[in-house]
Amino acid sequence: MTLPDLDLSTRAVTTAGRPSDHRRTGRSKPPVVTGILLGLLCVVMLSPFIWMTLSVTKPTDVAFANPPVLWDYEPTLKAFIDLWQTTYFADYLVNTLVVAVISTVIALIIGIPAAYALSRFPSYVSALLLVLALIFRALPRFAVVLPMYDISRALGIYDTTFALAIALVAINQPFTIWLLRNFFADIPRELDEAAMIDGCTRIGMLRRVMIPLMGPGILTAGIFVFLFAFQEYLTALVLTDTSSKTVPVFIATQLGQTLPMLQQAGAASMLLTIPVFVIAFIAQKYLVAGLSDGAVKG
Amino acid sequence: MKAREFWLLVLPSLVVMGGLLVLPLLRTMQWSFEEVHYGVPGTFVGLGNFIEALTDERFGRAVLFTVVVTLVTTVILLVLGYLVAIGVNRLTTSRPVVLGIMLVSYVLPQLVGAVAYSWLFDDNFGGVVNRLIGLFSGTQVLWFTDQVPNAILVISNVVWQMLPFAMLIILAGLQGVPLELREAAKIDGASPFQTHLNVIIPTIRGVLGFVTLITIMDVLRMFDNLIPLSPQAQSIGNESIMMYVYRMAFADGAQKLGLGSAINVLTIILILVMLIPFIRGIFKEAKAEQR
Repeated sequence: MTLPDLDLSTRAVTTAGRPSDHRRTGRSKPPVVTGILLGLLCVVMLSPFIWMTLSVTKPTDVAFANPPVLWDYEPTLKAFIDLWQTTYFADYLVNTLVVAVISTVIALIIGIPAAYALSRFPSYVSALLLVLALIFRALPRFAVVLPMYDISRALGIYDTTFALAIALVAINQPFTIWLLRNFFADIPRELDEAAMIDGCTRIGMLRRVMIPLMGPGILTAGIFVFLFAFQEYLTALVLTDTSSKTVPVFIATQLGQTLPMLQQAGAASMLLTIPVFVIAFIAQKYLVAGLSDGAVKG
Repeated sequence: MKAREFWLLVLPSLVVMGGLLVLPLLRTMQWSFEEVHYGVPGTFVGLGNFIEALTDERFGRAVLFTVVVTLVTTVILLVLGYLVAIGVNRLTTSRPVVLGIMLVSYVLPQLVGAVAYSWLFDDNFGGVVNRLIGLFSGTQVLWFTDQVPNAILVISNVVWQMLPFAMLIILAGLQGVPLELREAAKIDGASPFQTHLNVIIPTIRGVLGFVTLITIMDVLRMFDNLIPLSPQAQSIGNESIMMYVYRMAFADGAQKLGLGSAINVLTIILILVMLIPFIRGIFKEAKAEQR
């Protein structure tokens, strides 16, 4: 059923509309033309991945044949084996995951209290901080990343996973706060007060009452911060060299090299695409909620 | 909430953002007035970097390319996003599948998506798209070495990548349109087209404005996708602003850090101007809450 994700995704925009509205409009016949058009669109959206999968599982000479050979070949996993054996792909993958996990944890630890305070302190201070968050979210990356490169060299932490992770915490913090604050703002203030009267401290209340209530919001923010770190190319390109290189940077360096290396880049891309597919289906309701809640209300 | 509690809760986040966003940003501003290299103090050159940027023909081409791609992409995304959102809004049981498939291009690292996308057009990989075009028109399109086809390739890639975002936001907006409004329009004898144009679109204009803002901001900053899609960007005049900054201030020996910083500052000013309506909205909301 589709209702759960609607609940989350529309909460921000629907103060008047009920989530079940679209179902009451229920057309008597299924929308055939719409279905066909959307089906075609899905094929178009997926076509790069379909083609990449074919190219990567072909023997190298067939993969680069023009006109393309569509079926008359022996599928092979050689590109994946080469990727594993001749490059440091495993290391880069570990780096990418370590960076993503560290930055997600730190981002949430510092982001949750800040977002809560902002949602409960309606004044020019909190409006000003939100404006700053919005502006920093919109900044050209290089405006902060190039000085970070200079500073990290001076501090001797250039090319470490920690430096990259903490840089990403800062870069994504505005979005994290913005998203969490929108979730927090929907929890009635009376709840805080009731908990406080019952003898909770502000921190204790945050821990015992709010965090359980905010579970979905925190999960959503966590997924987004993780994905942002996992997706990041530009920051990793500038702040890493060899020892903490991430997968997107590795893939970029494989381009414009020999044909087998290009095929390995494709294999690496495929290995990233598969978990993303899984996430797109399993965590869909949080992705949809994060996109529409973090956005629409702002 | 007491002010002391407020600051206590906000402090850790403020320290991180202050140290790692505000300080670097101030450094960029300082650099924009200097002739400078990494690791050594620069010398003040006044507005020299800004003048150099604004008179550099290559920068002019980068701005033109970036702005054209941004505008075209934004228009296509709004129209296509709206149409697809209407379609998806009608789906019931198949909706999660369609959303799942569409989300992949948005969740994947932009660079990885662009690599996969470029292979459809790359003759090294058989160039399936060229084959299809050749079948119908008999012409050969040079997607990577010819300026206009390459720009089209970049635009189509950005649309492919950002369509799920635009569609989802607009879908959320559509679901917020009160049913009574649609029914009233229907009773008044409005055609579906009129209903969309005169009832639904005005109702969700805030949402459309948001999609426009984010699209413009994101596409103005494009960088990752051009690495695979436009390997010869400089020679065919399809560099983006951020790519130009990268080449000037980081790659190729980083000779012109000051110039790159000046361009960053100019970009920030441009983005700030675009954000003004949204900033005013936030302050209005704060004011209303305070009453």
